[in-house]
Amino acid sequence: MKIYTGSGDRGKTSLFSGERVGKDNDRIEAYGDLDELNAVIGALCAGLPEAPPDRRAELQAIQSDLFRIGAWLATTPGAPEAESLPPLDPGRSVWLEGAIDCMQEDLSPLTAFILPGGHPSAAWAHVARTVCRRVERRVVRLAGGSSPGEAEAPLGRAMIYLNRLSDYLFVFARHCNRWHGIADTPWKA
Amino acid sequence: MESVSRNLRPGPFTSRILGRRWLSPTAFELRLDRPSGFDFQPGQRVRLASGPDERDYSIAAAPADPEVVLCIRRVAGGALSEWLATAGIGTAISCSGPHGYFTFKPSPRPAIFVATGTGVAPFVSMAKAGAEGFMLLHGVRRAEDLFYRDLLSAAARRYMACLSQGAPDAPEVLTGRVTRHLERLVPPGACDFYLCGRGEMIRDVTWRIDERFSGSRVYSEIFY
Repeated sequence: MKIYTGSGDRGKTSLFSGERVGKDNDRIEAYGDLDELNAVIGALCAGLPEAPPDRRAELQAIQSDLFRIGAWLATTPGAPEAESLPPLDPGRSVWLEGAIDCMQEDLSPLTAFILPGGHPSAAWAHVARTVCRRVERRVVRLAGGSSPGEAEAPLGRAMIYLNRLSDYLFVFARHCNRWHGIADTPWKA
Repeated sequence: MESVSRNLRPGPFTSRILGRRWLSPTAFELRLDRPSGFDFQPGQRVRLASGPDERDYSIAAAPADPEVVLCIRRVAGGALSEWLATAGIGTAISCSGPHGYFTFKPSPRPAIFVATGTGVAPFVSMAKAGAEGFMLLHGVRRAEDLFYRDLLSAAARRYMACLSQGAPDAPEVLTGRVTRHLERLVPPGACDFYLCGRGEMIRDVTWRIDERFSGSRVYSEIFY
């Protein structure tokens, strides 16, 4: 079964809201980077076959959240297609906060910057964190660099989620190192 | 025309074949029992399963109709279409849906529907649900493949059929590909294009849109 049409061979694509845009459009950059983030989290998850099921389920729930955000990034604010999209639940950011707090309980307080790395799973979590920050910057650009208005409210919720997810991934990296008995490496100025 | 709702989450259900009507030597309309609570928007699909094989088919009924109607092309050696073409009345079928977002979005821009073959099914659903004022270009091989011609020509502001084989039998029937006629029939400008059919058609029409219809919206659904 063919999955390709070739209609994008000339450098344009369609947004979910139907507009034809260049593949270097800010929206495409945003959901393309979001796709990259999702793939990196997939790699992180795949590298943790021995992880507790609830931790893996947590990562997969995040991947589903990213798909929902991606649909909004692919839709021009205020377009009628937005009516058919599942709303972004602000409670998901609160859920991330709970997961961060839970992991933090077992971690020692940080007294210095730490070098990204350690166990391969921690290294992947740091890669995911940096990609997440890039996605966040893309979304901020889409929102015009300020607090979004009514039509852009989903972008505002996405910004909050991505900001929290970056923190989650940082803590997740430390959690992976601790779990594998590897100490964080402090930065020596 | 109903508006798009948020109620697009697909759910599994079992249906039964209520009837079959051949539209041409290679295409047929399949009527399925519609369970209560199965709501859909014109343009959406239902997924049918037989063992490990699954295929999506656009619904050619209106949301208010009592049955689910599908327009299916019989594909030689096809995983499902061969079975659906011969299965007995009353046969149970595993289904899920509705799926997809290929729904009509009213706008101030002219709506141009372009279909090849059974890709006309979602536009049949839209027309049955009250969509009007659209232009439809339907590309088929022969005139006998112009399913739902009366319904669509009555609902459309302009209905044009494009045959790749055989001679035209009416003024609204042309020879050649839809891509060729699109540029002649639609004045340049921003339109809402709805494309449903073969990948090659979607590619070629999309390229023409990029060249000639700046500011347009493009919604597409590939039929395999």
